[in-house]
Amino acid sequence: MSEIKRFIEFSKPFIDATRNVFETMVFTKIQTGKPAIKEGNTSQGDVSAVLGLSGEYKKEGEICPYRAMLVISFPFDTYVKAASAMLMEDYTEYNEEISDVAGEICNMVMGNAKRDLTALGYSTNMAIPSIVMGKNHSIRYPGDTTIIMIPISSAHGNFYIELCYKDNVKGDIEVKIQK
Amino acid sequence: MSLKATMKIIVVDDMSTMRKIIKKMLNQIGFTNITEADDGATAWPLIQKAHADGEPFEFIVSDWNMPTMTGLDLVKAVRASEELKKTPFLMITAEAEQGNVVIAVKAGVSNFIVKPFSAEVLKEKISKIFNK
Repeated sequence: MSEIKRFIEFSKPFIDATRNVFETMVFTKIQTGKPAIKEGNTSQGDVSAVLGLSGEYKKEGEICPYRAMLVISFPFDTYVKAASAMLMEDYTEYNEEISDVAGEICNMVMGNAKRDLTALGYSTNMAIPSIVMGKNHSIRYPGDTTIIMIPISSAHGNFYIELCYKDNVKGDIEVKIQK
Repeated sequence: MSLKATMKIIVVDDMSTMRKIIKKMLNQIGFTNITEADDGATAWPLIQKAHADGEPFEFIVSDWNMPTMTGLDLVKAVRASEELKKTPFLMITAEAEQGNVVIAVKAGVSNFIVKPFSAEVLKEKISKIFNK
């Protein structure tokens, strides 16, 4: 299987997991927009949860180590509305009390996707998500990596899932975050 | 549910978001006496002290992945204690793999929830634990 085919296969569990997490704990259905190749490092959202992951693809005798990154990025308005729904409280602005909502959503998405990835032949080691906050923050993706951005719409507003995936990587992908 | 509303419960999770959600859900189910702890390492001395003070926690709800003392280590500590070993213990985890269920059951959890989950699922699990 080619790297791009694997990337597409690898992405689907994250979309399914996001749908499940939002329907169950954020009390909204999501609609996925058309995926696009992301150019540049500037985030579309104001609060981003960034999670590095690695593992091995094993299927039909093929063994291929991989590194990947999941980013879930929310504009402030969506973030506050999603946090209000999830925590069953009324928040009007971003504050410390809701600062780990993105991390928890990211954890749940990754945890759920992991089950489906295992079924597809991908072992997964997940790191702890880091949070980047602020208008126009940048995420420096690993070099030589294609980033796919999937716009998501929901009753709480739009947000974005970004995924990058790389086959046959030796050593850790370095995740650099710029504010 | 025939359980008393004042049943003493401790909710253990390193993410304040999840502690708040679980606490809200427990309130919705009808429970009012809820203590929070941000790690197994924080919870364990609270659990021991509550027992020593004669007001033991009657139910432990704990996340699995926590930085200092995991939920798995916490349930093992509880089950290894002669005084505390019968305390009902509900494990919550983000990882949905079947292997995790086996590990948790072997460690002695009373039941197991995979995130994401609703208040209805939490209520069902609590019913199963206390109606055994």
